[in-house]
Amino acid sequence: MAEEKPSPDPTVVERWLAEQQQWQRTVATYIDSLAKNDEFLVHLGNAMRGSLLAGKPYPTQPPPGAASPQTQADDRLDQVLFTLHKIEGQIEDLRLTLDDLGARKGKKKGKSGKRKDRG
Amino acid sequence: MSETEPERDRELEALLALSRRGRAKLERLHEILTTPGHYGTGASPAAVVYRENKLRLLRLLDESGKPRSGPPVLFVPAPVSRYFILDLLPGRSFAGHVGAAGFDVYIADFGTPSREDRFADLEYYVDGLVRRSVRTVCALTGESRVNIVGYCLGGTLSLLYAALYPDTVKRLVLLTTTVDGDVEGGISWVAHKMGLAGESYDEPRLVPAVEVKSWFEMLSPGSNSLTSRVSDLWDRLDDAPERLRDVRTMATWVDDVVPAPGRLLAELYKKFGPGRNGLMAGTATIGDRVLDFAAVSMPVLAVSAEKDTISPPAGVDAIVKIVPQAEVMRLQGGHVGIVAGRAAAALWKRTVEFLGSGGVSG
Repeated sequence: MAEEKPSPDPTVVERWLAEQQQWQRTVATYIDSLAKNDEFLVHLGNAMRGSLLAGKPYPTQPPPGAASPQTQADDRLDQVLFTLHKIEGQIEDLRLTLDDLGARKGKKKGKSGKRKDRG
Repeated sequence: MSETEPERDRELEALLALSRRGRAKLERLHEILTTPGHYGTGASPAAVVYRENKLRLLRLLDESGKPRSGPPVLFVPAPVSRYFILDLLPGRSFAGHVGAAGFDVYIADFGTPSREDRFADLEYYVDGLVRRSVRTVCALTGESRVNIVGYCLGGTLSLLYAALYPDTVKRLVLLTTTVDGDVEGGISWVAHKMGLAGESYDEPRLVPAVEVKSWFEMLSPGSNSLTSRVSDLWDRLDDAPERLRDVRTMATWVDDVVPAPGRLLAELYKKFGPGRNGLMAGTATIGDRVLDFAAVSMPVLAVSAEKDTISPPAGVDAIVKIVPQAEVMRLQGGHVGIVAGRAAAALWKRTVEFLGSGGVSG
């Protein structure tokens, strides 16, 4: 039986051609992900800024003039909103105090009830 | 002189190796970018037990989904960054580790401030959000005192709270918390040296996240240039995918900063920054109340990091000058590394020991 000849090592040129095909496949996976996955573009954009931040774009400075100018009315509205947040906190304080008083009253009742049972 | 064939082949081989290496990096990057990452939530199961404005108070749950019954521990992170650095990944969660040791763990997630929150000051945080978080923990557990672990600016809030309400704090842990504002380095010192005008207390703005980020970048040379960041990432792409996933998780914390209330920053700078140094000088106030650090009589553990560029260790260790009983521990590593890096185990172990000195059995 004739011996099978071992296949000769591919030449440098052949390996270059194979490498080019691999590159095409790599690029195709990127294009495929860009087409199928909306978030991939954001993640790739972050990577191009040197960050692996996931889920949202890397923070950048907005272009000059992009922020809407704030009027006096906006400012007053913000102050009112923040005051409402402070009032929200005060109401929570009141609720916590009432809960605390309720819990103490419950404890006292429990104790006096036990005393009565014993007596 | 013309190239010989072996020389040309050697050159082609070298180029081929370079091409393969570059392609392998891009393939690894694709794998990382398409693997579900960490999207800014804590690793441990938790229930929201209190909400106020943007604050969510989280209570960690055990494996069966129930809250633990050990002594309560409240984690207070910096309100200018995301809370989840304290609960990063399964197996790399500081808060999770403390919970697994038997403590009933709570984390204050300050959330993302909106435009109206630019008016929030120290009093709002310390005597408002932190105090009501402590009250909620006390109400839920029936305890009159809680352990508090404050990280960075969260440590400053915790220290101020402990001075105002010492009877409600059992033990206090301050992680990388600057006390001496005159020590060189750190954010406020850099701002001072650069002659930045600072934020306005009376007409505050919501400081955009990108600006907050740029301050941190000023403290780590090289990280603020696009070229160096991209080159750093390209070098890192030689790492194994598991390592890169870690890098991605950390990037999701480091690069995802939150905007900051301008009034809070203005007040911190004006009261505790270089030249004023109110914590060391004994002139610290909350609203119109002068703080007395002699009231901070509970056991205190202060932890500094050798390579901390945000809170230089000397400024952290200075706590012993105002709270003499404080135990100071200096760890190898940086501001973030000692809390959630590979060397964080030393901090976690010591914290559990310190908190456990008061008893873990409840």
